[in-house]
Amino acid sequence: MTSSGPDLSVQVAGIAMQNPVMSASGTFGYGMEYEEYLDLSELGAIVTKAVTLEPREGNPPPRVRETPAGMLNAIGLQNPGARAFIDEKLPQLREFGVPVIVNISGRSVKEFAQLARMLTVDGVDALELNVSCPNVEDEGMHFGVDCSSTGELARAVVDSTDLPVIVKLSPNVTDIREIAVAAAEAGAHALSLINTLLGMSIDIDTRRPHLGNVTGGLSGPAIRPVAVRMVHEVAREVDLPIIGMGGIMSARDAIEFMLAGASAVAVGTANFVEPATMRDVIRGIADYCRRHDVARVAELTGALRID
Amino acid sequence: MPRAVAHLKRRETVGPGHYLLHLACPEIAASAQPGQFIHLRVGDGTDPLLRRPFSVMLTNPDEDDVQVLVRTVGRGTELIADHEEGKQYDLLGPLGHGWPKPGPGEDIMLVAGGVGVAPLIFLADSLRTVEDRPYVRAIFGGADQDALVCWTEFASRCEEFTAVTEDGSAGETGLVTDVLVPEIERDRPQRAYACGPDAMLAVVAEICAGAGIPLHVSMEQWMGCGVGACLGCAIPAAEGGYVRVCTEGPVFDADQIDWERMNER
Repeated sequence: MTSSGPDLSVQVAGIAMQNPVMSASGTFGYGMEYEEYLDLSELGAIVTKAVTLEPREGNPPPRVRETPAGMLNAIGLQNPGARAFIDEKLPQLREFGVPVIVNISGRSVKEFAQLARMLTVDGVDALELNVSCPNVEDEGMHFGVDCSSTGELARAVVDSTDLPVIVKLSPNVTDIREIAVAAAEAGAHALSLINTLLGMSIDIDTRRPHLGNVTGGLSGPAIRPVAVRMVHEVAREVDLPIIGMGGIMSARDAIEFMLAGASAVAVGTANFVEPATMRDVIRGIADYCRRHDVARVAELTGALRID
Repeated sequence: MPRAVAHLKRRETVGPGHYLLHLACPEIAASAQPGQFIHLRVGDGTDPLLRRPFSVMLTNPDEDDVQVLVRTVGRGTELIADHEEGKQYDLLGPLGHGWPKPGPGEDIMLVAGGVGVAPLIFLADSLRTVEDRPYVRAIFGGADQDALVCWTEFASRCEEFTAVTEDGSAGETGLVTDVLVPEIERDRPQRAYACGPDAMLAVVAEICAGAGIPLHVSMEQWMGCGVGACLGCAIPAAEGGYVRVCTEGPVFDADQIDWERMNER
């Protein structure tokens, strides 16, 4: 970028990012999988696939199913466990020179706290709490749909680490603002939203669910208007930086989220469709800023006009 | 970078609901190995959203030609069936691990079910030019005559060829596996390769394991990213847990797969 170009850098909960575009957890592996398709050092940050205390096998297939302008997934948090992540994945992730945000998921408050302590190591820049995975019974979802447990969990993690703590909110609630407030009061440093919407699809010939797990999380452009609305609602209610996500396919979509109140955005399902989406989103945001005389991209956050 | 743009040169109808795409794509024509796949973006918009994986059936590097066999099963493949000459496809590939090569002069058996024939045609084709060429026998099965797509392309690349249909409309009557058992007993092949429906592959795996014949299988699964990130295409592994069709596969040694869990659905 030339010195006269727009300033794309943002600060989210003390994490300095060269631009506001990061990967959404679970859609980008541990980064390396996409190394051949785009320059990872250009990203704002990398958010990893969920890490759990012990390795997880994940759910039986089929794990994914396309739906109109979206997809259902029920991967089931398959991952090699925190120890293997730290030893094998983290050293490679650090080499890209961008902030690394580790998504963590646990079965109990204690397990989340233990994970937070384990992952408070050099090379990890923040933790994202997966309090809202829809595909694992008695896991995050259990926390993420209830104010007091979200608060308890966030507080336990904040007390276990000096890293910034981002709470990832579930859309599968009556009022997402209540959960957001609970996370904020517990000391969370940022919020990310939204996780996938719980969904289901059925093969009418076999009369069986398409997914091995019966239900799954819906992502992709189909959920974008819901996500934008929720970012808007939460931004008006809570004074914490928001990482907005849900069906972002282009710079246009990313800017929508920022105008609604997001300080940064995450690209998820679009990575599967076009591996270089994040690069294009970053460039498109810069173009938009030039066209609209926006000197700093941070000015877009919450710049929605409602008469 | 494993990605390219392909142009549709010609779409040939090779059976009811079956199409052979002739693509112009120098990168894939030059680099695809038998058993590898390409991950094709079917539309430009958001519906259909995901790419579609297809095995490469044949390549001709001298003419930048890539052939892909498509069976219409849903929205993505139905759209392909309507695409006109000149249509451009963005694709990732070649992706995944292809077939291990047979040993010099080995007797091998290829077992194909329906459109599963595609990667086996590529394998048989690639063996025609090797030194000390293996002796290739093939069995090709399907529900009926119409399911035996591209059978001449397959048969012409094998020394011995048996067709079998469930309704007897072509070749012998029965299942692939009904023919496989006596052929294995008679010919004692040293190695086998198979691609087709999961249920067929599970029985072929059992037969080959019983006969002590190493078997390589090409697996199919609903797929997200195609590059190993989403873990969407995982199938049960014999050693526990799951393996990714896109990355560890699509070709596996049959004993890497947990066929019992595979058949639970």
